[in-house]
Formats: sequence, C-alpha cells, structure tokens
Amino acid sequence: MPSWSIYPASADRLLSFIGIGVHWSILQYVLGLPLLAFIAELIYLKTGNEKWMRLAKTFVKGFVIVFAVGAATGTASEFGLVLLWPNLTEAAGRYIYFPLYAEVFAFLMEVVFIYLLWYGWERLPKKVHVIVMLLALIGPWFSGAMIVSVNSYMVAPTGIHPAYDPTTGEWLYQQGYPKLLLAVPNDYVSLLNVTLLQQLGMEIVKNQPANANFTLVLMPVKIVNRLAYESWHGYTVKDSILYLVLKPEYRNNAQLLNTPVKAIVDKILVTTINYVGVESVTFKSPVYRASILHVLGSAITVSSFTAFAGFALRKLKGYKPEDEDYIDTGLKYTLLFALIAIAVQGFVFGHEMGRAIAYYNPEKFAAMEATSNTTFSISRAFHLEGFMKMLAYGSTSAHLPNYDKIPDDYCVLGVTQSLKTEEMSRVGSCKPPLLIHYVYYTKIGLAILVGLYALLGSYYVVIKKAIPPKWILSLALPAAVVIQMVSWMGWAVREIGRKPWTIYGVMTPDVAHTFNPAPTSAVAAVALFFIVILLALAYLVWKVLWIPGRPVSVEGE
Amino acid sequence: MEGVTIAVFWLAYVFSFHIILVNLGIYLGLMVPYLKYRAKKMGDNGLLRVSKNLMKFYAATYALAGVFATAFTVFLLSFYPFFLGLAGNIALAPFAIAILMIVLHFFSISSYYYGWDRFKESTHNFIGILLAISALLIPLGFRSVFAFLNTPVGLYFDVTSEGIVPRLDLTEALTNPTLYPLYLKSLVAAITVGALATGGYAAVKYFKAEDEEYKNALKLYTQKTVTIGLIGLIIMFFLGLWYTLSLRGVEYKFNNIFAPLGWSVGGGSAEFNVSWLFVLKMIFYIAQLVLVFQVYQAIKKAGFVNRGGANKLLYAGLLGIATIALGELLNAFSQYPYFVADVQSPPVEIPPQAAPYLLNVLNLANVNKLATLTGVQLLTVGFMVFLSLSAVWFLYVIFKEFEKEV
Repeated sequence: MPSWSIYPASADRLLSFIGIGVHWSILQYVLGLPLLAFIAELIYLKTGNEKWMRLAKTFVKGFVIVFAVGAATGTASEFGLVLLWPNLTEAAGRYIYFPLYAEVFAFLMEVVFIYLLWYGWERLPKKVHVIVMLLALIGPWFSGAMIVSVNSYMVAPTGIHPAYDPTTGEWLYQQGYPKLLLAVPNDYVSLLNVTLLQQLGMEIVKNQPANANFTLVLMPVKIVNRLAYESWHGYTVKDSILYLVLKPEYRNNAQLLNTPVKAIVDKILVTTINYVGVESVTFKSPVYRASILHVLGSAITVSSFTAFAGFALRKLKGYKPEDEDYIDTGLKYTLLFALIAIAVQGFVFGHEMGRAIAYYNPEKFAAMEATSNTTFSISRAFHLEGFMKMLAYGSTSAHLPNYDKIPDDYCVLGVTQSLKTEEMSRVGSCKPPLLIHYVYYTKIGLAILVGLYALLGSYYVVIKKAIPPKWILSLALPAAVVIQMVSWMGWAVREIGRKPWTIYGVMTPDVAHTFNPAPTSAVAAVALFFIVILLALAYLVWKVLWIPGRPVSVEGE
Repeated sequence: MEGVTIAVFWLAYVFSFHIILVNLGIYLGLMVPYLKYRAKKMGDNGLLRVSKNLMKFYAATYALAGVFATAFTVFLLSFYPFFLGLAGNIALAPFAIAILMIVLHFFSISSYYYGWDRFKESTHNFIGILLAISALLIPLGFRSVFAFLNTPVGLYFDVTSEGIVPRLDLTEALTNPTLYPLYLKSLVAAITVGALATGGYAAVKYFKAEDEEYKNALKLYTQKTVTIGLIGLIIMFFLGLWYTLSLRGVEYKFNNIFAPLGWSVGGGSAEFNVSWLFVLKMIFYIAQLVLVFQVYQAIKKAGFVNRGGANKLLYAGLLGIATIALGELLNAFSQYPYFVADVQSPPVEIPPQAAPYLLNVLNLANVNKLATLTGVQLLTVGFMVFLSLSAVWFLYVIFKEFEKEV
C-alpha cells in the first residue's frame, strides 16, 4: 500500500502538513466567528436588546485574538512555501499569481477593519459599526476565496480532462488520459512531429479559436509532468524528451538544441494562461465552487460548535446570576447555528465537494472509497457502494472507479525503459495512498455523530423550549474537539489524497521541492515549535475568554 | 508605463509603510516590557499607564506592519517569481530564523496584551522577555538576507547529476562584512526613532494631561527618550560610517551613492546615481541632531521643555521616521537594477553555464509581464487607494482613543 514515505520529500511534506494544519485550525475561527458576531449585531440593531451586543463582542474578542496568531501562522505558511517548495512558489507566482496578489488586498482589509471594529467599538455610530463588522467579515472571506482558488487549481487545474468514465467504469490511461489543455504557440508546433505526439496521446482540440497564433491541444499529463521536471532541473532541448519529438530537420539546430526547456515551457504556459484568462484561471478550476463553499461551511461549523462549547461549559461550571440570560441566549444561538451549519455542510457543500472530486480526481475518489480487493473497505463492508454511486454520479448504474486498475506508473512517461525507471524513482508511485479511505470514513462517521448530537440538543431548545440537560451540555467540549478533528481530517484527505501530485497533472513533489532541504532534526524542531505555539494559544484563549467569567468589556482590555 | 517602473513603485510603496511600522515595533518590543517591569517595581501607576498605552498602540499596529510585509512578499512573487524561486532554494536558514521569530513575536504580542493583569507577574514578564528577544532576532534573519543581496558571501554552485544546484554555507554567510554593521545600525536606528517619535508624542500629551501622576510619568518618559535618542543619533554616526566602509567591497553600490560626491572605489563612477538620496538623508539626520540637542539642553536647564520644545521633539521623531524610509530606499535603489549588488563581479565562482540564467533572474528589468497587465494594475491602484485611506482612518481612530486616555 503506498504510504506517506513512498512519495518524495516526506519530512518536508510532514512539516508543511503540520504548519498549514495549525494555520487551518486557527483560521477557521477567523472565517466563522465574524459571521456569528455579524448576525448577533444585526439582531441587536433590530431588537435593541443589549445581550445581543454583548454576544457580538464576545465573538469579536475571540476573533481578534485568533486573528493575530492566524496572521502569524499565515506568514509562516507563506514563507514555508517559499523555502520548502520554492519551485512550486515560483510557478504559482509566474502563472497563477493573481489570487495571491489579490489576497494582499483582502489581508489588508482584514487588518484594517478587524482592528477598527475592536478599537472603534464605542466610538463609531451603531450603523457605521455594523458596516465595519460586515467589512471585517468580508475581508477573511475574500481572503479565503483567493487562497482556495489556488488550492483548487492544485486539486484540479483548469483544463484538466480526467482518466475515468463512470458510465462504463473504464480507466482511460491507454488513451493517454489524464490530459491537460495547453495553448502551444504555432512557431513551436511547426518544430514538432505532431504525429508522434498524437501517438503518445496528444489530441488537437477540434474547435480552435479563429486567427490564433497558437494551437489548443490536450496533452497527456505524463508529458507535462516530465517537462516540469526538466524545466526545474536545467535541461536544454538536446537532453530533453522534446528532442525525441523534434522534426528531423531541426535536430542539428544548435541554437534550438541549447534552448532551456524552461524557456519553452514558460512560453507555452504563458500562452495558455493568456488564453484561459490571467485573472480568472484559478477560479475556473472545476472544483473551485464546491471547494470554497466547503471551506466556509467547515469554518462556520467549527466556530459555532466551539462557541457553543464555551457557553455550555460556562453554564455547567457556574456564572454570575446577572449573566444567566446572556449565557442562555448564547448557548441557544450557537447550538442552532451549529446544527444548521453542519446540516448544510454535510448535505449540500460536502455533497458538491464529493461529486467534484469523483469527476475530476477519480484516482483520489477510488482511494477514498478503497475500491481495492487488497484492503478492507468500510463502504464495501456496509454495502454502501450503490449509495456512493448515487451520491457521486447521480445513478446506481454508474461505476465506482476501481483502485486496483490504476496503473502504478500512469503519471510517468515510459517511452524507454530507462526513462520510465528514472521517472518512477523520482515520483515514487502514481497511486494515491489508501490510507485516506480510513481517514475519510472516520471523518464522515464522526461528523454524523456530532450532527446527531446537535440535533438532539436543538430538540430541547426548539421543541421543549428549554436548555438542554446537563449530560448534553457536558458533551459540548468533546463535540467541539471532534468537529475540529473532522475538519482537519477533511483537509488531510484533500491534501494527502492528491499524491503523487502537488499540482494534479502538472507537478510532483520532487519538482516542487527545494534543492537544499533542511536536515530532519531541524524539520522536527520547527514542527515542535508550531505545536507548542498552538498549545500556548489554546491556553491563552482559555485564560482570556474563559477564566474571567465576567462581562466582556472592550474598555480597558 | 514600463513594467519595471510599476513593479519597483509598488515594492517601494509597501516596503516604506512596512519598515516604518517595523522600526517602531522593534523599539516598542524592547521598551514596553522594560517600562512595565520598572513601573510595577516602583509602584508608579502613571508609568504603568504610559507602558499600557504604548502596548495598545503596538498591538493595534503590528498586524498592519505584517500586512505590508505580506504585500511586499506577494508583489515580489508576482513581479519577480524566478528571483523568489532562486531565493527560496538558497536562503532557507536566514529566512527560517526570521519566520520562527515572527510567529513567536505575534504570539508574544497577543499574550502580553491580553495577559496584562490576567497572568501572574512572573509569567507576564517572561512573555515580555520573549517579546524583546524576538524583536531583536527578526531583523537578524532579514538583515542576513539583505547582506547577502549586497554581496553573496557563502554562495556555492554544486554541479550534480541533476544539474547545477546553488546552496548557501550559513557559517560563511554569517561572516558577510556588511551584515553586522547593517544589523546593528538597523537596531540602533529603530531604538532611536522609536524613542524620539514616542517621546515627542508623550511631550505633547504632557501639556494636555490633567492627572498629576500621569503627567509626571509622561515627563519622566520624555526625559529618558531624549537621552536615548541623542545617544542613539551619535552612535548612528559611527555605525553608518562602519556600514559605508563595509560597502567599499561592493563597488557598484558604493559608487552609485558616493562617486557623485567625489568618493569612489576602483576608479568607478555612478551608473545609477542615488547620491541625492544620501544627501537628503544626511540633511534629515543633522536636523534631528540639532532638534534633539536643543531639547536636551532645555531639559538640562529647566527640568523640562515648554510646548515649543515638545513640538521640536515630535518633529525630530517624524524626521526620524522619514529618515528610516529614506535609508531603506537608498539601500535598495543603490543597487538598481540588480537584486544582488555585485552580481557583475561577485566574490563567488559561478559556473559559466549558470551565469546567463543568474544575470537574467537577478535583473529587476525582467518583470513578469502577466503581473503588469493594465487591468490588474488599475485594480491595484483602486484597492491601494481605498485601503491606504482605510489604514489612515484606522490610525486616526487609534489616536483618538489615546486622546481620550489623556
């Protein structure tokens, strides 16, 4: 079974996993808490009841604390990408820079309006404050929309054509799939043996744009992947696979032979990005819409369960008598919010995400469902396959992709045995790890349990018009921890399940990785540092938001 | 407008904002924990109030410094992706020092701010020490990179089966002759400008304050900052000279600054004349020195300054802020159009086959044209105007709050 270490750069992948994981666990509150605060403030404006303003202040207080540390872990993640995966960063900066560029504006918006919200609480007129609150909410969501678009592009780049047909259950590797849409400048096309490329699986797109100086092709990803490798390893045409597909009359052209592969790939990619849309390329990723909804849904769910746990604990551990109404209102508000969030996240956003992955990352979907005879499959054991077909493809007559039929070498170019051996040694394996099946089903199982818990708690609030009993409240903190784990596992499935790719169909981790990795001991020390900071942050939030147990006061804080 | 002009303008714009806030941050990261510790020890509530107000300002503006740093990194990534790719492959160690300290610093600020009166005194002081240490070490990481950009000491190119791989020998990089004068100069400049700017503000506030205890604290704080500022300005002269002398090994950069003023190395001349920036910086420096000396003498004579003196100190602080920005621009533009100042005659052996690539990547003129498209730039202008105005409004609200404190 392909495991973590079979793919390249395992230590640095682990460090990124921890670093970005810490950032992800924090930033969910940056996305979720302002929505809770914004709605609470709107209710205050409508009712004039001070307890809603106090609730909004409490959420904003948590928001401001986590934002500062989230900004720090975000900066660390950004530099981590530059230092551990510099070639990926370079490619992102060159070709899909726009959302990263626009994210700066989002970040600036966050900083300005979050702090303005906090420091201007008593100084701004009520209606102006609500507008600032809205802007403080839009800032993080805008930021999330930009970053998720880049991540979506990594999951399924715009123009990807997957290698699976669910109606027949056939993998399409023999026909050269997966393939990526590229716009190849015509002056390059004239140099190449197109027939040979077509034999390798390249297709010329039927409907070409009129008067274009390029030709649209669907290029097998195994060729794209090889060219990416050669680009970042200083190959020139004479040592490249490009030499094999040059027309014979150009094979003695010294200038052409000494041209860096990177220069040629760069021109093709720039032409492609210009054709697809410089500003819109990442947003056109086929998994983008589902991804951004899923991310926001996760953040709102985690934030509302965590806030509910805070109020439930306060209810259980004692409070000042004058706070009872405030605590009860907060408890009910966050519990109902949590129920709605987890329901929408599961039934709508999660479903959309699953469908997008089933279509555009069929290898990952096969691993998620563990459609392999070599391993224990939870979906098979519980006879869920028909249900999964229905969910993923909308039809029980569709077929789930068979993991065992994915060739171990589909992502590498095997025009010669030596090249194939070289390619396999750098990539490790083309199949995603089956480990994600267990992570995925554990996630789903836990999410269902937490959802049922929220439903039960809401039953007392809505039907019985009462505060849930103590035993339910005592489970609130474990539920908050579990839902954070659920979110984290979802993210792990997304990232680990993409292996062997860093950008699906384009770049593998060995290409993205730095030429000068740090020693494992340094990587371990940095990982430990991040974990200590996360624990210290949790302690800080507990100490600041929980211990005082007193009315929130912006003044003098 | 040319791509390089657009790229350099935005990089300089966001970096100027960033560097001003960062310099104030280094000072506050050192001063606030010390001031609070001293206030508690002496039981001086007025001084405690001063330290808390400074901390409030710091907590409120630090993230703004961070956002401009992020803007700088992302603009660099978008305009010069190949350079950032190269830098990422080489500069892991110095950047790693800076990043880990940034995370620690952010955490320390949050903990110190929210832990005020909530944590045990010893715990709070310990966090204050973390705040100060991280404030000192963040610039060490970044100044190592800047020294490398002056002259790439410790850079090697290994010829491997996978091609030519650049790497940095950290031990050698730390012997870069421009590193220590640059680092120490940066720290002293930050402390000096922080002292003058906050001291000036405190002096002006002194005349508005009504509470006697707070007035006394503002007076004491102003007196101390004037002394710090004056000593800092004097030390800066020597550190500036040291840095200048260390740059004699980087002919291109040195001559761009000093050759038009009659001081050149290697018989060279300025290819990109920035001597006017240096002259302007010196005028600002001398003006600060004169103002601070006058305030110092006034305090010596009368115990404190009058309103005019307070304004003088505030002007000195503002001039200091402008000098910081000018100094950074001078340092950056004196090596224009190269990322590495002595790229044409580096102290390292570059394999001939790698030279064209490096010269291409290290040239600012080679901008990513996808990032300078008109539509993107119009959007950038729109957002930058809106957000810069929002940032100013935000600072106004912060200062209004401090007005209420008085």
